[in-house]
Amino acid sequence: MKKSSYFIHQPLVLYSLLAILILQTACSKDPIREEVITPPDTTKTVTYENGIFIVNEGNYNWGNASVTYLNNTNNTVVQDVFSKSNNRNLGDVAESMTIAGKLGYLLINNSNRIEVVSLKDFKSVSTISGLHSPRFLQVVDSTKAYATNMQNYISVIDLKTNSVSGTIKTTSWTENLIKYDKFMLVTSIGRFSEPSAVRKAQIFVIDTETDAIVDSIQSGKEPIGIVIDKKQKVWVLCSGGYDNFEAPSLMRINPELRVVEKVFTFTDPAQVPSRLCMNPTGDTIYYLKGGVYQMPVTSNTLPTQPLIKPEGRLFYGLNIHPGTGCIYVSDAKDYVQNGSAYQYNAAGSLIRQYVTGRIPGSFCFTANSTK
Amino acid sequence: MYSVGIQCIPLLLYAQTPKDTLNLKEFEVKSTYKSDINGFKRVKLDSTFLVNHLNEDLSKVLANYSTIYIKSYGSGSLASPSFRGTTAQHTQVEWNGINLNSPMLGQVDLSQIPVSQFDGLEILYGAAGISRASGAFGGVINLVTNPDWNNKINVLAAQSLGSFHTFTSNINVVAGTSSFQSHTKFNYSASENDFPYYNEYLTKMVTQHSASYAIFGISEELFFKVRDKHLVSVKFRYNQDDRDLPPTTNNFENDHYEKQSSKNLFAVADYKFVEKKYNVLVRTAFSNQEMHYALDSTINVVHQYYQVINKIRFTYLGIRNMLIKPGIDFTFDQVASDDYNGIKSRSTTSFYTELSNDIGGKVKTSLVIRADLINGSFLPIVPAIGIAYLPWKKCDLSFTLNLARNYRYPTLNDLFWAISGNPDLVPETNYSVELGYAFTHKSKNGKFLFELNMAGYYSWIYQMITWTSVIGNPSLWKPENIDEIRARGVETGLNFKWEVFNFRVSLDNNYNFCRSTYQKASSAYDEKIGKQLIYIPVNTLNSTFSIARWNFYLNYNFCYVSERFTAKDNLSVMPAYNLSNIIAGKNIHIKHFILSLQFDINNVFDLDYQSMPSRPMPGINAAFTVKLGFPGTNR
Repeated sequence: MKKSSYFIHQPLVLYSLLAILILQTACSKDPIREEVITPPDTTKTVTYENGIFIVNEGNYNWGNASVTYLNNTNNTVVQDVFSKSNNRNLGDVAESMTIAGKLGYLLINNSNRIEVVSLKDFKSVSTISGLHSPRFLQVVDSTKAYATNMQNYISVIDLKTNSVSGTIKTTSWTENLIKYDKFMLVTSIGRFSEPSAVRKAQIFVIDTETDAIVDSIQSGKEPIGIVIDKKQKVWVLCSGGYDNFEAPSLMRINPELRVVEKVFTFTDPAQVPSRLCMNPTGDTIYYLKGGVYQMPVTSNTLPTQPLIKPEGRLFYGLNIHPGTGCIYVSDAKDYVQNGSAYQYNAAGSLIRQYVTGRIPGSFCFTANSTK
Repeated sequence: MYSVGIQCIPLLLYAQTPKDTLNLKEFEVKSTYKSDINGFKRVKLDSTFLVNHLNEDLSKVLANYSTIYIKSYGSGSLASPSFRGTTAQHTQVEWNGINLNSPMLGQVDLSQIPVSQFDGLEILYGAAGISRASGAFGGVINLVTNPDWNNKINVLAAQSLGSFHTFTSNINVVAGTSSFQSHTKFNYSASENDFPYYNEYLTKMVTQHSASYAIFGISEELFFKVRDKHLVSVKFRYNQDDRDLPPTTNNFENDHYEKQSSKNLFAVADYKFVEKKYNVLVRTAFSNQEMHYALDSTINVVHQYYQVINKIRFTYLGIRNMLIKPGIDFTFDQVASDDYNGIKSRSTTSFYTELSNDIGGKVKTSLVIRADLINGSFLPIVPAIGIAYLPWKKCDLSFTLNLARNYRYPTLNDLFWAISGNPDLVPETNYSVELGYAFTHKSKNGKFLFELNMAGYYSWIYQMITWTSVIGNPSLWKPENIDEIRARGVETGLNFKWEVFNFRVSLDNNYNFCRSTYQKASSAYDEKIGKQLIYIPVNTLNSTFSIARWNFYLNYNFCYVSERFTAKDNLSVMPAYNLSNIIAGKNIHIKHFILSLQFDINNVFDLDYQSMPSRPMPGINAAFTVKLGFPGTNR
């Protein structure tokens, strides 16, 4: 071979071989993303106005939060309703859902968003950003709501424009909140980055007319739940701290005088209570502590036996139906598979069981829900 | 030393002029199925293969060219190995006999190990790893550097420029005499890692942010030899890295501040005394590693650990057809971590014996026994027995069988992590059986080589440690001995190399089938029994086609990874993907120098994929590398 043709040929031979190889391999254009295997829906859910939403947190940083819908009209279950209606995933760690009028507000903790959806079709109406690890949302009136954050502030949400209209500076992790008179009582765990010993646990009293913290009530470490009973007494559940800094406690507060009236201390350090709930008649408290516990507000002692035993289940979410008083409790299993939700009547008899998405954490009931 | 089976000598076949000892060989020689312990599987990747991957990290080389599955959190982020259906904690990575696995986490991040920092790589599969350490149920990846006593001087400088503002520099200087050799290596690599990708959460194309990294390393290795009797080596390695850990696709728009940096120093001194009938190896090693992690304003912690290793191995060859190799290893780990309550330490004394026997050249057996004494208490004995059968002397064919029992002690995090640590954990137990064969055929003129190997394994893991939520306190997680795993699979290698019309062509294929399943449910409501472990693919395949002539070389690599489940009930998956990578280059000989120009194209078909949910991976990307070598002369 002559020198000149040698130089022309050598790359040609090699690169034509390469071209053949490239042509042989087919080219996929669909992005490769996580897929959820769910049975196909047998019924078409037209609206989401009569039923129960189960908010599945999903795994931290996996972006697999979802919403399961229990349709009260025809007793069907629809998984992953947000993705189906919006062709995108809900985000990372869905903490809670609150309904205001005809809209649902989903607080997406690690995506720092509130997804606003229409209950008619679950299509996204708005996406609120500018939050700092949002936790729970409570409606003040038809124009305003408060959303708690794990850091820095409480966000004031304008329900007309679906945007953040202001902030209430706290520098602490605020968790649960409940309305009393013209005030919002907000549990505050303390600064997120600090250990329990240093964290200042308190209940903020916020004047909803001025959006200002007007008072505070000291509580046990890590106040995570707050409810109000029929006599307008406020109950606060304190976990005692992530590091078991102190024994968990249940406190009764007089919101008028802003004083703690009663403290019930939990004795078993291995079992930490969570998910404080109140029944619709305002006379019975529920919480999780391994099993589901039930306690009349008039009781002088904490219950010693659960109403519903866990029997190997990892009870994770709990709520009481505001109409029927049914107990809804979820099993997150080992956090790395689909969970379950159980519906019990107020006496603790199982009515129905449902499959949910990953880490079912909270329940949200529509105004018309009948189950 | 006994050596079963495959003496695959492509080195001779493709040997270049002596000048090419610089390692600028244009051809790959790889995947030699070997066994220095009879009946166990070991695969080697040598420097001639690694030299074309100088700008890469270990995770990429293993993912593309071995049967080890790499779980990657994205370019520049954590990449952990898994083989034979086990987890990263069941894989031990060693550098010249020093365990690189963090004593805290029990695993290693392969994205932080540059290929340029070692000359060769060997993979010990399954029970073969017992010859190095207990607890490596999957196996051991050993990174080695070896002296070439014929070398006078050999200098290599490489500079690589890649997509997404990636720069890699390497300088290697190897110099010495017949009784002294010095290896000096320097590597630096930095990247903005700002690749574009489709964000499925924001439903738009975005450019990755907060993902930059910089890695720096320097090493000095000195080898001395006195009358072929005394071999002394001293090796130092220092490396540091700084990384921004990128946001997931789902919190891409947030102010995200997550940083990790580490500084690591390793030192190891070996002395080997060689007599005709016996030899003695004495090793002492030290490592000091510091890791700093910060997340937003909420977490800011430093972990520091020290490790001291002392080792004595005695090898006795005085009995015909017999090798006896007793030894003692002593390892001391000490951790000072912001996440522990106080300084924690662990001392491990390991008694070790290896017996090998050759019966008539056709049957070779070996027995390895290890007994670990950890903080004063003995773990049960770890035995492994292997048999190799070589039916025909003229044919390079061998059958192997091995059986083993193994234990893995909990990591220091498992035991001592503040609040969560569980001091009551017991070691994990593993039983394994492996059956394999290897066949190599080389044509008489040495121009064609065919290699086929297959290994089937069956392995049980009992009391596997899994972090789990505490019943009654869902916010508290603790490690518990709860899982039971059964892993079984087949690894196949099929390699061809031939020389035809002066073209040198090779085709290497690795196929791995692995079923690894949960065997025990945590409750009656748990749906995981019989389901595949999350993040472990059932099928993986990689194929590499190489061709070289006229000092050109071209390498086409194809990898297929089947779906990986992301739920223990196997109801969500990351879909399968396949990737293609091309390396093309030319070596130009200019007087005493070799100039090498190389072009790499990764993810040739611009596949938009994720290996882990919400962790974006780059599409098509390229790197251009210039290497300048001064091979000097050989003795």
